[in-house]
Amino acid sequence: MGKAETYDMFEVEARRGADGELGVSVKKGRGAKKKEKLESMKKEMDVDDHTLSVEDLEIKYSTSVRKGLSGGLAAELLVRDGPNELKPPRGTPEYVKFARQLAGGLQCLMWVAAAICLIAFGIQCSQGDLTSADNLYLAIALIAVVVVTGCFGYYQEFKSTNIIASFKNLVPQQATVIRDGEKFQLNANQLVVGDLVEIKGGDRVPADVRITSAQGCKVDNSSLTGESEPQTRSPECTHESPLETRNIAFFSTMCLEGTATGIVINTGDRTIIGRIASLASGVENEKTPIAIEIEHFVDIIAGLAIFFGATFFVVAMVIGYPFLRAMVFFMAIVVAYVPEGLLATVTVCLSLTAKRLARKNCVVKNLEAVETLGSTSVICSDKTGTLTQNRMTVAHLWFDNQIHTADTTEDQSGQSFDQSSETWRALSKIISLCNRALFKGGQDAVPVPKRIVIGDASETALLKFAELTVGNVQDYRERFPKTCEIPFNSTNKFQLSVHALEAELGAGAGSRHVLVMKGAPERILERCASILIKGQELPLDAQWQEAFHTAYVQLGGLGERVLGFCHLYLDERQFPPGFAFDAEEPNFPTSGLCFAGLVSMIDPPRATVPDAVAKCRTAGIRVIMVTGDHPITAKAIARGVGIISEGSETVEDIAARLRMPIDQVDKRAARACVVNGGQLKDMEGEELVETLKMHPEMVFARTSPQQKLIIVESCQKLGAIVAVTGDGVNDSPALKKADIGVAMGIAGSDAAKNAADMILLDDNFASIVTGVEQGRLIFDNLKKSIAYTLTKNIPELAPYLIYITASVPLPLGCITILFIELCTDIFPSVSLAYEAAESDIMHLKPRNPRRDRLVNEPLAAYSYFQIGVIQSFAGFADYFTAMAQEGWWPLLCLGLRPHWENHHLQDLQDSYGQEWTFGQRLYQQYVCYTCFFISIEMCQIADVLIRKTRRLSVFQQGFFRNRVLVIAIVFQVCLGNFLCYCPGMPNIFNFMPIRFQWWLVPMPYGLLIFVYDEIRKLGVRRHPGSWWDKELYY
Amino acid sequence: MEVKLREGISKLKVKHVQGIAIIPKSENSDFRLLKGNLNMIASPSKLSPSNWLELEARLPGAEKRAPPPAASPAPGAVLHLPPRLICRCIAVCAALTGGTLSEGRRHHHSVWPPPSPSFRLLGFPQSQVKILLFYLIFYGCLAGIFIGTIQVMLLTISEFEPKYQDRVAPPGLTQIPQVLKTEISFSASDSKSYEMYVSAINKFLLTYSDEQQMGNAAFEDCGDVPSSYKDRGEYKEGQGRKNVCKFKRDWLGNCSGLHDPTYGYKDGKPCLIIKLNRVMGFKPKPPQNSSLPEDFVGKFHENIIPIHCAGKKEDDVSKLGTVEYYGLGGFPGFPLQYYPYYGKILQPDYRQPLVAVQFTNLTFDTEVRIECKAYGENIHYSDKDRFQGRFDVKFDIKSS
Repeated sequence: MGKAETYDMFEVEARRGADGELGVSVKKGRGAKKKEKLESMKKEMDVDDHTLSVEDLEIKYSTSVRKGLSGGLAAELLVRDGPNELKPPRGTPEYVKFARQLAGGLQCLMWVAAAICLIAFGIQCSQGDLTSADNLYLAIALIAVVVVTGCFGYYQEFKSTNIIASFKNLVPQQATVIRDGEKFQLNANQLVVGDLVEIKGGDRVPADVRITSAQGCKVDNSSLTGESEPQTRSPECTHESPLETRNIAFFSTMCLEGTATGIVINTGDRTIIGRIASLASGVENEKTPIAIEIEHFVDIIAGLAIFFGATFFVVAMVIGYPFLRAMVFFMAIVVAYVPEGLLATVTVCLSLTAKRLARKNCVVKNLEAVETLGSTSVICSDKTGTLTQNRMTVAHLWFDNQIHTADTTEDQSGQSFDQSSETWRALSKIISLCNRALFKGGQDAVPVPKRIVIGDASETALLKFAELTVGNVQDYRERFPKTCEIPFNSTNKFQLSVHALEAELGAGAGSRHVLVMKGAPERILERCASILIKGQELPLDAQWQEAFHTAYVQLGGLGERVLGFCHLYLDERQFPPGFAFDAEEPNFPTSGLCFAGLVSMIDPPRATVPDAVAKCRTAGIRVIMVTGDHPITAKAIARGVGIISEGSETVEDIAARLRMPIDQVDKRAARACVVNGGQLKDMEGEELVETLKMHPEMVFARTSPQQKLIIVESCQKLGAIVAVTGDGVNDSPALKKADIGVAMGIAGSDAAKNAADMILLDDNFASIVTGVEQGRLIFDNLKKSIAYTLTKNIPELAPYLIYITASVPLPLGCITILFIELCTDIFPSVSLAYEAAESDIMHLKPRNPRRDRLVNEPLAAYSYFQIGVIQSFAGFADYFTAMAQEGWWPLLCLGLRPHWENHHLQDLQDSYGQEWTFGQRLYQQYVCYTCFFISIEMCQIADVLIRKTRRLSVFQQGFFRNRVLVIAIVFQVCLGNFLCYCPGMPNIFNFMPIRFQWWLVPMPYGLLIFVYDEIRKLGVRRHPGSWWDKELYY
Repeated sequence: MEVKLREGISKLKVKHVQGIAIIPKSENSDFRLLKGNLNMIASPSKLSPSNWLELEARLPGAEKRAPPPAASPAPGAVLHLPPRLICRCIAVCAALTGGTLSEGRRHHHSVWPPPSPSFRLLGFPQSQVKILLFYLIFYGCLAGIFIGTIQVMLLTISEFEPKYQDRVAPPGLTQIPQVLKTEISFSASDSKSYEMYVSAINKFLLTYSDEQQMGNAAFEDCGDVPSSYKDRGEYKEGQGRKNVCKFKRDWLGNCSGLHDPTYGYKDGKPCLIIKLNRVMGFKPKPPQNSSLPEDFVGKFHENIIPIHCAGKKEDDVSKLGTVEYYGLGGFPGFPLQYYPYYGKILQPDYRQPLVAVQFTNLTFDTEVRIECKAYGENIHYSDKDRFQGRFDVKFDIKSS
């Protein structure tokens, strides 16, 4: 077909010059080498359809502007081009998602450990030692843990994906198509290039459409550019760039009003929006900070494990064990170092937080992203819909020479202004009457701000404003029936209507009609001769004009769209009731009117946002606004929500204040900075980084999707962990690139939701603060959980080391270790996730990802070499007690192992000369296992108590405030009792019912742990910065 | 309060700050908060005297400069510095009561930014010696506590009597010779093939020879008919060593080795010596008559713990042939006067009673499984421990 496509490596960037005009530059891909793959995604078709005449178009697409395509050709094209829909981003296949769950850092560690176990088991088998299948059990347990937690994590993600999927709009979109001269409705995905389509207000544009005819058609391009202002579409080519010209309407944008007919020029993924969406899928996902932390931690574990293993391998060789036996020892030690329970703990802790977040309307797609918000140091937020309500609202009014502030909150909880003035009555009348917008019927129960309105954004805002301040607009309009109307057009820039007055209500005596007008303020002012001040009509002299201009500039400077309002009571004699007003050729005065006031509108910030931004600031998080909207609006909103704080100035502000040229201002003095897309385009990468460093408060306006990506990258280059919030398709590449992308659940497009890691179901930016808080809390609590879990590694390992070196009967068996790791200690370690924050975490800076590690040296050293060692001693004390009290004195135990483990020795003598069969010894060994187990449990109770806090005293934190932890301890004790005393345990799991006294032996050690840790904390609190603090604060 | 840092000093501690601290950036230097939390100080409710700040300032050229004069300022003093290197720390306080300022550690090799702490266990940092010392003391104390605990625990146990006998009783029944997989396999004609069994029995019976049971006052003749338990008092040192009953080797008859040094092995009629494992204070109770196998009729004595060997399975029974029992007074069991046992200290020369069994008519060239059981009211058997109160042994005697 005659479609010219060139797949050159071109990059199109929508950009606005400083003059606010749209401009497009097509240039050879910048940095093409670096992002070749990405660039190829951004391939630009040589779209010249907008410059072609309608006739040429007809030839090019073999279509007709009257009859449309022929049905046969359409079917052919559909086969060639495929359906007109965005290919869903290549969803990760389910098995890959599952496999990913099995391949994390910890998981890999456990796979390796399982492999080692199997090897060791193989070696033992080949040696003919078939008695002990411990290694096999261990391998099975390890694999089971990985698989079970993998399933759990997968299920969690699956659930949240489902929540997200439920948002998808499954209703197929319809399009009005003309084919073979017949008009009919078609599923939008059946459209092909060359189809003639009709669009009307309220429709979604079904494809990229070249407009051939239009009547007052306006589209909302905000999902593409982030610009909330509606844009006119008309058949004329107004710009050589396809993005800027008015005669192309883009796929998936909303048609707000009017109607248009056009020819489809691109479908599916070849549309502009399709290209942006595919840009997102080309961006690599960043590794989450917690994944990095866990890898770092696995490195530590692996290093220590091999270090220990190698040491004892050498020791075993020196003692004189055969090589293979020493090798098995080595493997067993390495495996014993693997904290089997940690994976489950981490997964459960993260999913608990995810659940907690979900309750607060943050749905996390990827479990690991739960923590990411906590580490976030920069939030790049989109403006429209995220920070703002995404609806025009009346913000200010100027009448009686005074600026009044309207209530812009979502729930009308704000302050109202003084409404007693006569001028306000006049103004409110104009606002109500000179308005074509209507509420859709049947919405009486809906609060006014949420009602659906037919009409453009400004009129909607005014209508809602009037409804809220004056009352029932519908009634009001019925009382003053419209007799004549001149709608808004771009040449007049005003809208006018004439209404009949009810006699008794006539304000001006002798009037039967009132003329109301609104429009661009300067145009309105031109037509006014007087001004209404406090109900009095005063001549509009230079003084009042000055006042008007001051107000106009001031309101404009707030980034608000300003409209002027005026009216005129028509003389009854000249215009009696029933007078035929002529809208085409006005037979009534349109000048010499009475100016009533100015109304300015803005898309106001959400009520919760300023508070949330302030909280982010105290939490040391920098909030950067990145929007496609105008710099002035962006800056105004940024000021409004506190992204630019009070008293901060941009370079331009300083220049204006000091009355000096911008280039002479010291840029360092400006805290704030507003950069628009055009400036950004001219910046080198380094320059942007410098700018980001120099100005703490940044606003980026008029940015394209690619530029958003670049901004995120620059922040990441600065070492920041970046969160991006957004809702539009244009945000999706940045969402994907960010360390954590946060999409809006209600307003967000599917593309954005797909690219994001987290979704705010209520579109509330404030939920991010909750996310940050929870993320930080879980980081702290994970640290505690990990410390708790790691501690017992030593008392689990030490028996084996002593067994090898001192040849005592084995004090702790493999199955018992698995019970500690995977059964009794899981609940307490998870319960630490419920621990409240020790300090005001929202007043701390975000952690430094390079310095503040999840597992650092003091944590490992303190857990392993101090608490762990105390626990080991407790275990051995109990072990020797149990042995001695049954007849095996400690010194006899040393070196006893070869006899003890001799299956054929049925009369081994103990310290009293009693003779033990092998079976009796074996049960005695199980008693030792159980004693050691109980010792570890007792010490772990102390351990979980001390892990409640890292700095504060446990007494300050409160013993019982964390109920879950208390329950966990009780549970742990009960489980310990069950394992010990449940009949049948000895032969199944090697637990023996032990004597009560042996529960008491480890208790002094538990107390010691508690007291020692309190001393440690005291030292840390008393002497911060000291050697003690550095080495012992984790 | 304005604080000026002296030249070359790059760390600054502000102690006992109360109120609000504001730290502006100065032109030439940069502050870094090392410890403490500005916000903590900003909210007076969280203040305590232990709150403090440590600041580190980047002073251009501070690293290169020679160490400053050593005179250390008194706490609370205002330090002066050339204006170029002034770092300002202004603490705007409601009241700076008791606010003191002390000089922090000097940073001679200050690097900016400081190297990120890596995992320092492997690469030793400067404070290595301190850590070593710390752990030395720490482990020293721990070891002390541990030894203390063990000592306390040892106080709870008696030298003469085990505290608990949860596992060792009821006793095991063991046989001599103890062999791998309890399988006795030999050829009667090949003396080498049974040498190990013979020497094991020899070794074991050595202490039962008459010479070994003479010359010591501790040996006591307990008669050659079974009689009841011999209580010898408490399990305490008080009365010194306790007497033990003699057990004469020749009571074992053909299996005593006195007549046949190969214990019947050379004729294919192997002997086993059976003993009940020693358990202190354990008094085995003879069984009720009803529970005994039929063979016992006539041989039973009320003061013995009878031993009976039989084929393990049905087909073993026919292969077993006759079994001869030798014991005190010819009774196939352990006489009670040897019990209870008083332990290795009180009865170092204790001879536990033995029973010998001789299988005189074993089927050759086939495996015969034999199970020997001790019968008694307080003698139990366990499925898990195959040597508790019984044992089984497999004979495989080759004819050639």
